[in-house]
Amino acid sequence: MMTILQTANSASFVRRRLDPLGVVVTAVAVAGLFLPFVIFKANRIVPGEGVPLWAALPVWAAIAALVGLGSVLVIAMLRVRGELKLAASGAGLLAVVLLIGLAADTMSPQDDSLARIGIGAGSWLLILALALMLTDALSRLDPGPWTRIGSLAFAMVVFGAILGSGTLNELSILKEYGSRAPAFWQETRRHLELAFGSVLLATGIGVPVGIACHRFSAMRSGVLNLLNIVQTIPSIALFGILIAPLAWIAANVPGARTIGISGIGMAPAMVALTAYALLPVVANTLVGLTGLATTTVEAARGMGMTSGQRLWHVELPLAMPVILTGIRIILVQNIGLSTIAALIGGGGLGVFVFQGAGQTAIDLVLLGAAPTVALAFAAAVLLGSFIDLSAERART
Amino acid sequence: MIEICDVVKSFGDTRAVDEVSLMIAPHTICALVGTSGSGKTTLLRMINRLVEPTSGNIRVDGRDVMSVPAYELRRQMGYVIQGHGLFPHWTIARNIATVPSLLGWDRRTIDRRVDELLDLFQLDPATYRNRLPGELSGGQRQRVGVARALAAKPNILLMDEPFGALDPVTRGKAQEELRIIQQKFGTTIVLVTHDMDEATHLGDRIAVLDKGRLLQHGEPADIIANPATDFVRELVGTTDRAFRLLSLATLGEHVESGTADGEPLEATMTLRSAYSELLWSGRKAAPVARDGTVLGIVTLDGLGRLAARP
Repeated sequence: MMTILQTANSASFVRRRLDPLGVVVTAVAVAGLFLPFVIFKANRIVPGEGVPLWAALPVWAAIAALVGLGSVLVIAMLRVRGELKLAASGAGLLAVVLLIGLAADTMSPQDDSLARIGIGAGSWLLILALALMLTDALSRLDPGPWTRIGSLAFAMVVFGAILGSGTLNELSILKEYGSRAPAFWQETRRHLELAFGSVLLATGIGVPVGIACHRFSAMRSGVLNLLNIVQTIPSIALFGILIAPLAWIAANVPGARTIGISGIGMAPAMVALTAYALLPVVANTLVGLTGLATTTVEAARGMGMTSGQRLWHVELPLAMPVILTGIRIILVQNIGLSTIAALIGGGGLGVFVFQGAGQTAIDLVLLGAAPTVALAFAAAVLLGSFIDLSAERART
Repeated sequence: MIEICDVVKSFGDTRAVDEVSLMIAPHTICALVGTSGSGKTTLLRMINRLVEPTSGNIRVDGRDVMSVPAYELRRQMGYVIQGHGLFPHWTIARNIATVPSLLGWDRRTIDRRVDELLDLFQLDPATYRNRLPGELSGGQRQRVGVARALAAKPNILLMDEPFGALDPVTRGKAQEELRIIQQKFGTTIVLVTHDMDEATHLGDRIAVLDKGRLLQHGEPADIIANPATDFVRELVGTTDRAFRLLSLATLGEHVESGTADGEPLEATMTLRSAYSELLWSGRKAAPVARDGTVLGIVTLDGLGRLAARP
């Protein structure tokens, strides 16, 4: 009898006090502790040798790290205030990044400029676990759009400060950056030009096409089918397919070459990215306009608005959150897709990904991939906030 | 004056409105009554050309509605629909200012007009001017909908089941408000409703439609007493037509001489309410007063005679 009671009590204790996601976070983080924290490589292309956290750090730092991480994980597992979880996971993430820098410093041989220190699987798992905890805490706090924008800016400033302080300079990825800094910034700029340029073009074309599809239902199925077909073409194939027609235009249309049209390079990349982005923009514009309450549109007609006034003052503003959602989808999608532009000479961060893959230099791949992910993430947060801001105005 | 002459509207093979002719006199309320699918809404929407007639013509103050651009025509008429149709992203003030802005009134005149209308509908301008429709109750939104329709001082107000979405208490208040406003401004109102009570209560004239055809057009008392077809009879309802008839007049119009004891009844009360009140209080007669002055009496017998088939 006693034991049954005790079991029941402890079961309800578990349900009341333990955070299920925190348990997952802890499991992932503990697994991360037993995997290599950093990887030591004799040079930048040979496969390296994994070093666990306690071997990679000075003793005092290793002990501090284990104690600190342990307390963060306790907080993760208990049901406590979201603010506390947020602070703990934020501090944990910051600590892991700083520890990676410290490990790289400790491990780097004094006289060997060829040796490289890479980020190990264990670090990635720790970062993943803490990021999971952070995003969970953030979403439970349900911050408003301005808070989200502020948090993003704060995170960027902190990470920028860490990079600027030189703490991470001994890491392989930053050595790859160090030897090609001008190229990195040039390709980043190109990457942004490709992604934002194609999104602007796709918005400029897609929104009017979506409006036209809404007004003239006859063209609706034709346009959507065509864009669906474009969407199914594999991206590398689409980039390749465009080489021939654009080369022909460059050779035969006067003036085409002077505005930058050619078979390879930025032009086909821009065209392909724009083509991919059209479907979400057109579809969301159409859905946004069709989804409006009929009474609202009827009222606008009945009040004596002309067709243009109705579109501009009533329909577009009310459909804006849905249209912006489409633009957010294509922005995130095209920031990722722009990496492929490097294959046809279009430039962008993909240049490092493909160079790195060719040289089996994994940290060079990372130099292209990590900023791409960060850009996509930042774009998603920013546009998501704008959507909420615009939707706030349109509550019914 | 709205003149509807031999108007037909066909959708494919079906005639939604079938050769309807109707004259609506200025400064009156005309209620278009019918079941759903009777063509009453289509008929209303042809007046401001939200629907264009297949044949026949509609003249407003002698001018064919097809002779002016649709949007100009609509700006001259107020339009109220069920579920208010306010623009959810605009403040109350901007919603009310819709038509004046389209007509290009200057800023100050518009602001003044908006405040005037908010006052008229008992919504404190300072409180409500900058709210969004989502922050108002159903009854308040409906009032703003009517205020918006009246903003540019139209001679004609078209209302499509304006009170359909309101609860009975709020609906009663809104109907009262509409009567007062109509009497104050002399607006010609065309009101679509499926509620015979609303039609008899508000309408100076009632037009009954069924399957696109106009079955009867006349004063409420006339329609209740002499329904033209079985359908109209059914719509009026045979069981409580006596009470409908009583609800058309007020005590003040039928004061009898004599004296009676007890609490006096207000002269503005409808005969129907007075009848109910007498039955409820167990009296055979009661004094009738206006502003505290006793005018005479009302009796159960007298009311009974008034409720009999004319």
